[in-house]
Formats: sequence, C-alpha cells, structure tokens
Amino acid sequence: MSVRRGMKDQVAIAGASTTGFVAHNLERTHASLAAQACIDVIRKCGLTAADVDGLCGSWPNVEILQSALGLPAITWSGNPVIPLVDHFATAAAAVHAGLCEVALVYHAAYRSAWNTSSSLKDPFRRIATPGLTDPHPGPETVAGAVGYTAWASRYMYEYGMTSEDFGLVAINGRTNAARNPAAAKRDPITMDDYLDSRMIRWPLRLLDMDVPVDGGDAFIITTAERARDLALPAVLINAAVLGQVRHNEEDQTESLRHHGQQVVIDTLKRKGDFWIDDIDVYFPYDGFTPITLNWIENAGWCKPGEAGDFLREHWDAASGRALINGRIPINPHGGSLSEGATQASGHVREAVHQLQGVAGDRQVPDARRALITAGGFFFNAQGLMLHRT
Amino acid sequence: MAIVENNDAEVSNDELVQRFPGEPITHDNAAHYRGRLRRQLLINRCDDCKVWHAPPKPVCPDCWSSSVTATPVSGDGTIFMMVLLHQGPPAPGVDYSTPYPVVTVELDEQVGLRFTATVADAINDQIEIGKRVRLDWRERSGSPMPVFVLTGEDR
Repeated sequence: MSVRRGMKDQVAIAGASTTGFVAHNLERTHASLAAQACIDVIRKCGLTAADVDGLCGSWPNVEILQSALGLPAITWSGNPVIPLVDHFATAAAAVHAGLCEVALVYHAAYRSAWNTSSSLKDPFRRIATPGLTDPHPGPETVAGAVGYTAWASRYMYEYGMTSEDFGLVAINGRTNAARNPAAAKRDPITMDDYLDSRMIRWPLRLLDMDVPVDGGDAFIITTAERARDLALPAVLINAAVLGQVRHNEEDQTESLRHHGQQVVIDTLKRKGDFWIDDIDVYFPYDGFTPITLNWIENAGWCKPGEAGDFLREHWDAASGRALINGRIPINPHGGSLSEGATQASGHVREAVHQLQGVAGDRQVPDARRALITAGGFFFNAQGLMLHRT
Repeated sequence: MAIVENNDAEVSNDELVQRFPGEPITHDNAAHYRGRLRRQLLINRCDDCKVWHAPPKPVCPDCWSSSVTATPVSGDGTIFMMVLLHQGPPAPGVDYSTPYPVVTVELDEQVGLRFTATVADAINDQIEIGKRVRLDWRERSGSPMPVFVLTGEDR
C-alpha cells in the first residue's frame, strides 16, 4: 500500500465548537444546530463569513447551510458520508490541494422519527425523516446497527467476551461524561446498572448503544501556516485514513481480525509520526461497546480477545474509569455513549480541545498527541492522528 | 448475465416488488427474489471461476466475469452469529414478547459464504453459534420466506 504522506502536518484544525448534545427533542432543525456551532467556531477563530471558502458537513446539505449562514462565496464544498473523519480528511485534502483555504466542517445530530417514540409523534420530525412511510423489509437481517450486535455474539463465542467486558466501556464513558457539560448523559453508572439495563438485541443492552440526540459541532480547517495566525493553537493533522476491505457487508465480513479497522491501524502506523505509546489521549469509537473493545485490540494495546482484561488492568478505581498506563484516558468526554450519535465529531472536537488546552476540568495535563479511531467494522472504519507541536 | 430459467416470465418486476414489500429489489438481486417465489434459495455463483458470492453483485468480484448465475444452494450450514431481537420493525407474525432470533449462517458451499434469516420452531435457548441448520420455508404476507431450522446433528 501507498506510503505517500504529502498532506502530513500541512493542514490544521484551528478551532472546534459545540452546541452540546441533549437526549430530548429541541424545537430546532439540523440547520439551526449546525449554524449555531458554525457561528461560534468562526468567531472563536477570529474569522468572518467572508473568510470561509470551503464547506463540508453531514447534515444539512451544504447549500442549505451556506444560505443560512450567508457565506458570500465558497469555492469548494461536499457532503461526504458519516462518520466524520471522512469530512475532516476530505476537507483537509481540499485545503491542501488549494480548492479552498478555510473550510468549515460541521455535523448536526437530530433525533429522527426512527429513533424515539417522541420523535415519531413530532410532525416536523416525521417530515424530516426520509422514507418513514415507505414499506420496510422484515427483521431478518443484520444490516445496519444490528450488525454490531451480531458480531458481539461472535466476539463472545470466539474469545469468551462477557457482558461485563462490554459494560466496562459503558461505565468508563459515563464516568468521563460527568465532567463534560456537552454530554447528554452525565449520571455515573455501576456494573449493576449496566447489567440491569434493558436488553434491546441480545447480547447488547440499552447501555451498550449511543443515545439519540439533538446537537451540533463545527470546526475550522485551514493550512497549518494560516492556522498559526489564528486565535487558538493549531492542531495539526498528522495522518488520516478511511479503511475498508472487500467483504464489507455486515454478514459477510470475514472476522473480527479482518475488516476496516486493520486497514486503518496499518495505514496510521505507516503514515503517522507517532504511535500509541506516544499519545496522551485515546478516542476509540463507541457507538456500540464491542466496537471500542475491538479497536483497543486491533490498535495493539493488547492481544485479540483481551480488551476487557486490558480495561480491568488499567482501571483507576478511585475515579471509576480506565487510565491506560495510569495516564491516558479513553474518550474523556464520555464518547458517543454519553454525547450521543455525534458520528465521531464529538471525539474529534474533544481531541482538539484537549490539544488546545481548553478542555476545562477534563484537561489531560500538557496533552500533545491524540489518536482517534472512529467508526465501526464494515464500511466506516476511520483513523485520525492529531498533534500540537 | 445469465437468467435462471423456470417460471420467471410469469412474474413481472412490478409483481415481484408487490410480493416482497419493502425488500430492496434491484436488477442485480431480482433473480434471488424470484427464486424465493419457487422456494429456492439462490446465491450468485460465477460461471467462469465457480466462486460463490453474496449478496448478489453484477460481476464476479474474484475474476470480474459478468457471467454470474443465481444458483440454488443446499441450505445446509452452521450458525455463525446470532441476535435475539427484543424489539424491532413491525412484521406479520413476529411477536417480540418472545425475543425474535436472527442468525447469520455460514453455508456449506463455501467458507465465508453466509446468509441471514430467522430460526423457526426452536426455543431461543437452543439456538447457539456452531449449531447445524437446514433451510426451510415459511409464509410472510403470502410470499415464501427462507428460514433455518436446527437439525440437531451438531458436529
């Protein structure tokens, strides 16, 4: 595989802002949530609407957000597919290539009518949920979210993983979220709370899954050179990858040792300047708890099947969370299990804040390097290495 | 692309879609659904290199031959992974008060070749990864639906 690294450290994330995320229905649209985060980050970086010439996000579509924000002229835009490392990688490449110079990257999460009964009752949310009234196929599939549950069963079968192993991920997230005002769920949980939570799809429970939320994040991506002149410390993009293998359907994926995550890890190791022993904070995706355990193993923190034991070994009983080698927190913002379906925009935002030294009482002392391993197994495994020099 | 002979001409694309409401039927997988109407589980197989692949693709992913045929499989296999749905989309005859099993079965035809369906006529405690199954059929909204049943012959 290629070892070209033309973009390495040439592009920076200059700032990150959030509306915060809540697990109830706000009387707001995707556009409203995204716009709030975007205005905040543009101002925080000391920029204006006229400085933004690139626009890249999940929802809403770029033309809607450009119009809402009154961005006078953009020379590049895109709506790549979630999770958000796709948006960061694509926007950074656009900046690096000269398609634009200051790219605004955004994500808005919105509780769709599929997610909750309260959303289904909301007429505006029904309209905003595509395909709601279409006939749907039966439940005899593991496509989509169910796929992670199916592979959780395989995880247990092949490696003897237990519910308690999954539960440690959930507990770690909640403990961390207690110190994150942007998180939707901030009450600490115990293993009993986890085990008592409602079984949704055996073997996974309610507390194994991210929460449906309303909220938005926004970021400024620009050249490293320009970022140095802006208001906040520049966070350099050292390496980025969207990893995928050929058997990428949920039920055809080869194994827990051969899917997109391995491509991500192999690529980051080849293209990045540092690796797990050098980082100060780690962000494995946690839309479902088994994803986190598999990332921990595939990243090389421990052997296959040992991620639960790894978390126990590195558990800080006093604080009720994992601290790798007594030092490296895992998702210090509480992850998607606590912030909700940020599609990793929350993981990247927290990484930026940690590296800029603005993470409040979650701050990891003098954090310089962060590893983000976003997405799941099938067609959405992603990696991002960020640092501050 | 080869077309499976039999009674295909009797079922128009319109009728096929009506018989399987909500199923994502395309030009690439229509032969599979026509097979269901005959209670045949059809999986695509390359006429040239003989490799099976699922779900249906327009070309053989192994040799790029466009000569792929939806071909009957035995339906024998081993449970590879499983889910018990305590909730899920509404479907006729599915009562989530008893968690509804969904299994991905590795088919005997080829390592890594899998098909996902429910398990019929079993209590959930009997359904386990590694158990042997065979194909059977049930009705869903008047159309045949492939299911697996436990054989009790575990190896």
